[in-house]
Amino acid sequence: MAYEPQYYPGATSVAENRRKHMSGKVEKLREVSDDDLTLVLGHRAPGSDYPSTHPPLAEMGEPECSVRELVEPTPGAKAGDRVRYVQFVDSMYNGPSVPYFRSYNAAINFRGVDPGTLSGRQVVEARERDMEEIAKFQMETEMTCPALASLRGATVHGHSLRLPEDGVMFDMLDRCRKEGDVIIMHKDQVGRPIDKKVDLGKPMSAEEAAKRTTIYRVDNVAFRDDAEVIEWVHRVFDQRTTYGFKPEN
Amino acid sequence: MADDRKRMFAKHMQKKYTEEHGTNKMSGGEITDKTVEYYRLGVDQNPRKLEMKKAGQELAAKRGLVGYNPMMHCGGIPLGQRALTPSFLSGTDDMVEIDDLHYVNNAAMQQMWDDIRRTVVVGMDLAHETLEKRLGIEVTPETINHYLETLNHALPGGAVVQEHMVETHPALVDDCYVKIFTGDDELADEIDSQFLIDINKEFPEEQAEQIKASIGKTSWQAAHIPTIVSRTTDGGQTSRWMAMQVGMSFISAYSMCAGEAAVADLSYAAKHAGVIQMGDMLPARRARAPNEPGGIPFGHMADIVQTSRVDAEDPAHVALEVVGAGCMLYDQIWLGSYMSGGVGFTQYATAAYCNNILDDNLYYNVDYINDKYDGAANKGTDNKVAANLDVVKDIATESTIYGLENYEKYPTTLEDHFGGSQRATSLSAAAGSAVSIATGNGNAGLSGWYLCMYLHKEALGRLGFFGYDLQDQCGATNVLSYQSDEGLALELRGPNYPNYAMNVGHQGGYAAITSGAHAGRGDAFAVNPLVKVAFADKLLPFDFTKPRKEFAKGALREFEPAGERSLIIPAK
Repeated sequence: MAYEPQYYPGATSVAENRRKHMSGKVEKLREVSDDDLTLVLGHRAPGSDYPSTHPPLAEMGEPECSVRELVEPTPGAKAGDRVRYVQFVDSMYNGPSVPYFRSYNAAINFRGVDPGTLSGRQVVEARERDMEEIAKFQMETEMTCPALASLRGATVHGHSLRLPEDGVMFDMLDRCRKEGDVIIMHKDQVGRPIDKKVDLGKPMSAEEAAKRTTIYRVDNVAFRDDAEVIEWVHRVFDQRTTYGFKPEN
Repeated sequence: MADDRKRMFAKHMQKKYTEEHGTNKMSGGEITDKTVEYYRLGVDQNPRKLEMKKAGQELAAKRGLVGYNPMMHCGGIPLGQRALTPSFLSGTDDMVEIDDLHYVNNAAMQQMWDDIRRTVVVGMDLAHETLEKRLGIEVTPETINHYLETLNHALPGGAVVQEHMVETHPALVDDCYVKIFTGDDELADEIDSQFLIDINKEFPEEQAEQIKASIGKTSWQAAHIPTIVSRTTDGGQTSRWMAMQVGMSFISAYSMCAGEAAVADLSYAAKHAGVIQMGDMLPARRARAPNEPGGIPFGHMADIVQTSRVDAEDPAHVALEVVGAGCMLYDQIWLGSYMSGGVGFTQYATAAYCNNILDDNLYYNVDYINDKYDGAANKGTDNKVAANLDVVKDIATESTIYGLENYEKYPTTLEDHFGGSQRATSLSAAAGSAVSIATGNGNAGLSGWYLCMYLHKEALGRLGFFGYDLQDQCGATNVLSYQSDEGLALELRGPNYPNYAMNVGHQGGYAAITSGAHAGRGDAFAVNPLVKVAFADKLLPFDFTKPRKEFAKGALREFEPAGERSLIIPAK
């Protein structure tokens, strides 16, 4: 019988959504063009070549190494891309993803990634074209609502703040706005103005965000009510405590 | 109970978020609102920022070199894109500007650290034995009083033996003195009251008996060298300065020969054999002398704070005052400045002692424990609940979920603790302190801290900053070990303990958990009665019975510190 990863406990919609994020089996909701993605990431001009830090591996004459033979390089590594980042901020008001599950998504489903998990933001560093693949995946799928999540390289403040009336998470640098019924981004990740307004698509309705979210909230799916998750946390805690350093060891 | 409860933070949240402060337009609405309007008013909305902006402009004009300019923030987008709100010191109604909780802007915070760093406790008995057994000099209460009078002249920098000596000006070192304490009531009765820390007077009767039993017939000096000396040098200077003046005072008071070998014994006793530092020396890679904050064990911090002797019936209050003092010293000064640099650590620390959010969580826990465990959160030893994992899980889980739900039901509290590390500190300090109060066991409380971190992370899918929670992911493995390379009784752990040396927002909580265990039992002290007594002294500039109130006084510019140089600089 083939192994079927279980990913995460819990009997609620939040737990189910967490399993989806971890497994990568998430619904695609929108298109972001390659040029638009490049613009908002702000690492290079759209259409330009990927800057590299070393020649393509095929041209480098690598030494004999069993590990190198065993591990297929990612496309970015093969090409010699530099390491660049994408950083998301997710609102605590039912933002569809949360930092740990963005990291799990990246680490489980993509190779050559270096996720960093904080409370107000989540960063993935990788070879540039590899990073873009992850960024595009997360931006285009149900992992992201353009109003409740945004790309912020610096000055990330906002994930825990009350929402303004238009429902777009507070951003000190005002990188995103609601125009008509879509969210546009007119500055890149670190707040530099970009040449065009990038259409990030429609925000989720409050009901849809509540359905797709991976955060427990007492006004949606209360953590208290997901007994299996709490039981699992207790089990982890018990085991780490009991089987850690002990006086008799 | 959780839903009906009147939240202790409600009044402060209302003031902060539904009333205008300065010109921040924060009037109206409810503290439960999930939406708000952002006016992007910049720094001009806030009185203190305006004052700072003006000072920056005047500085630039005066020195011909630019300085503070809020428009340098984010390439011209200044702070204040959200409303700049004031804060309240928890347990008080004192509203302050958050800038004034940075220790640079707060004289009380500076003085708290000064008063700890400049303090050592020195035994008298070794010296008296040397005098009596080696030199045949009689030591009596009268000679002790004479010695203390001499030392109170010499310790601040007065000469006692030599001619044509430089001395320090008394008005610059007026905070420097020495007092004595003893567990021997008969000796205490014979000591001039000006020199005595009277244990019977300063502590409730039950605590005084515990302390006197612990100290026994021994006698000790609580010495505080001048603030100005300590600031100019370092914590290692405290014992050296003290020992030199102690030696000279013995020579003078007991008419000794300045060069006789017994003086070396007196010096050795004062510098090494009979001295209690507030903080241990740190290893070379951190390169700090004794009496620097990284060496102060959590048990010492619990003993330095004096709330336990003035509000013994309220163990939660004791723990909360230790949180305030601990977060200020360990986070803002030790990690924030000694170890890291920058100004950001203040934001992490203040979350634990401002706006009653942690207080509300801990007092909820006290009610929960008393209801479920038959008064186990009240002061006492017979009422404690067993320190086992089931109890830890029950109390810490309830505490954490209550605290998390407050952030969800009251979005203004979430906005107030706008970073995950702030929330993690507050939630875990509440859970850990509650467990320690209920069990009387600091390591059980520590276990509750770690469980809280796990639950918090799973509930919200986020915890602290990148690295904040590193120690919290692996900490549960060492709560049961007392082997020195693996674990230790919490009282003896400190900021330089493996894993704890890295991240803001933990150490004040650990100190609180330590104090909670002992306050919960009604103990007079956590780990060292000598440290507890040394700070039971109203003459100290900082009032250690109420650190949070003192921080408020500092922020309101009402605190009078020591070590000022006005006397020797041009009047402005």
